[in-house]
Amino acid sequence: MVAKVLALIIFLVMFLLIVTEKIERQYVTLGCGAIMLIVVFGICMRSPQAILNTLNFHSIFTPDFWHATAEGGEATAGINWSTIIFIAGMMIMVEGMGKAGFFRWLCLKLAKMVNYKPVPIFVVFMLMAAFLSMFIDSITVILFLAAVTVELCQLLKCNPIPMILSEVFCANLGGSATMCGDPPNIIIGTSLHYAFIDFLTNTGVIAGISLIAAVIYFYLCFHKELSKSTGAKPEHYPDPSEAITDKKLFGLSIAIFAVAVVLLITHANTGLTVAFIGVFVAVLTLIVHHSDIPDLLKKVDYKTLLFFIGLFVVVGGLEQTGVLVLIADGISYICGSNAKLVIAVILWISAIASAFVDNIPFAATMLPVIQTLSQLQGIDLSILAWTLSMGTDIGGSATPIGASANVVGISVASREGYPIGWGKYCKYCAPATIMVVLISMVCIYVRYF
Amino acid sequence: MSDSQTIISIGREYGSGGHAIAEELSKRLGLKLYDHNILDEVAREKGVDPETLRKYDEKPHKLFLSRSAKGYHSSVEINVAYMQFDYLKKKAEKGESFIVVGRCAEGIFEGNPALISIFILGNRETKCKRIMELYHLSEQDALEKMRRHDEYRKRYHNNFCEDKWGDSRTYDICINSSLKGIDATADILETYIRARMDEPARN
Repeated sequence: MVAKVLALIIFLVMFLLIVTEKIERQYVTLGCGAIMLIVVFGICMRSPQAILNTLNFHSIFTPDFWHATAEGGEATAGINWSTIIFIAGMMIMVEGMGKAGFFRWLCLKLAKMVNYKPVPIFVVFMLMAAFLSMFIDSITVILFLAAVTVELCQLLKCNPIPMILSEVFCANLGGSATMCGDPPNIIIGTSLHYAFIDFLTNTGVIAGISLIAAVIYFYLCFHKELSKSTGAKPEHYPDPSEAITDKKLFGLSIAIFAVAVVLLITHANTGLTVAFIGVFVAVLTLIVHHSDIPDLLKKVDYKTLLFFIGLFVVVGGLEQTGVLVLIADGISYICGSNAKLVIAVILWISAIASAFVDNIPFAATMLPVIQTLSQLQGIDLSILAWTLSMGTDIGGSATPIGASANVVGISVASREGYPIGWGKYCKYCAPATIMVVLISMVCIYVRYF
Repeated sequence: MSDSQTIISIGREYGSGGHAIAEELSKRLGLKLYDHNILDEVAREKGVDPETLRKYDEKPHKLFLSRSAKGYHSSVEINVAYMQFDYLKKKAEKGESFIVVGRCAEGIFEGNPALISIFILGNRETKCKRIMELYHLSEQDALEKMRRHDEYRKRYHNNFCEDKWGDSRTYDICINSSLKGIDATADILETYIRARMDEPARN
């Protein structure tokens, strides 16, 4: 009981410190993780085995970590090294692509294809944000896209805010479509041994339907405002080819990205795990950019990786002490044997929570909860997993602080003189989020019940 | 940065006449004054309406309603502040000499040998009387306005700077404008600044 209470206190303190941002979040999770290991596992539980299970180092040295021999292995507990290695690998690949000028080139190429007309740019940028975010982290996508959007809008004399809001929303939506699109999906996929294709054929379908609705919604919201500004005809538009820093590196970066996409789509058949794919594309990128290896490695976001490590330890503490079973019992008690109600509760709680707190710790915490719920209620675990994925990925779009992509989009716009406050953001994105959560709920009910 | 460059930062309590003193020093020393006009210039450069930015000027961010990610921040107040800091840094890099009112200038240019940092404070009664006259407010309203603005300035400053707002250790010189009035305070500061500007080398 003492261990349970302490684990819960450590977790709540961690959450509070993350939200207040007084201390950098990686120090918060690592510090709380260390306290969890020493106090809860070491002193209260006197269980060296629990410490080893949570640190989970042994998993890296098993062949299954790199090449899955059987489908649907046992769910892993503690530090999810697959997630960390995969994200690190993708960070290196994306850094290489950015260095070669890929993202800026793509944005400008698409703008040129639609003759630099605001409304078509608005639509294609939404679609591009969703597509790229299926494979690349949405922060990077929005970082490049928002910068080009502001640049083009200044040339076309139109307000970039409608475009940036729509792009941010669609990037978050695109991230929900695949296993590697958003960190909660990577955590869910690697922990429960789902494949890329599993996500694509489940959350991907829901995201696809939702994307159509979102594009129509944002078009209805903003097309009049954007149509008004078609008068400006600048003498010079930025040339897409100017974005390419090195043609050879550019071509090779695209090839590596294509390899990553193919490997991810086929990994259920090839047996290659996401950890392997992450390492593979990172090595390829480093070989291609061999003269820039120190710079590429320096740009890896180690803070995020350390944040994940600490987070997994704290959540592992909640799991091993049985706190999360209590939460699952509570949900089970409230919902009775009504599986549809369980789905609705998971979906809406995930969405509402993710609108205000970081969805990564939330998803990591909820994962063991849905596993217990699946056992208690006899609901197929995969349905709960897709529900959790949609709720956490989509909910973040509702408020300016819900997802990192929102923060980056707002920051880029604000620093260019286009402030986006809570009112403006929520006026358009909160209804769109509610709409997509409703669509997700209907899709889940229709397809799985 | 050239040796002849001078950057004067003036922090001030609300109602102390810090801005009026900065204007006076700007005239006497022939230095450009940067205050809320930075936003006008930034807005003109970027082709946006300065009014949309002004309401976020020198305001603290809302703690639980904003967050950061990879060095980016969702708070408009913070982003508007960074826009101004970038603007001032660019001016300094070009070797320009100027006076800045507020905007964490002593923190932005900390360690810069061209910096002369000043903080202007005042007696509560004198500040209150000045605000009552300037804005035609009752004593109670003036005191409330003073409290609110000083609280904003403190939170804004301390969010970006390690050294604390209004702490004498943060500045080269702190002066109470209520004791000798605005003109005389400007005289004293002018003498001090000229003495500093005449120094052969500042380390």
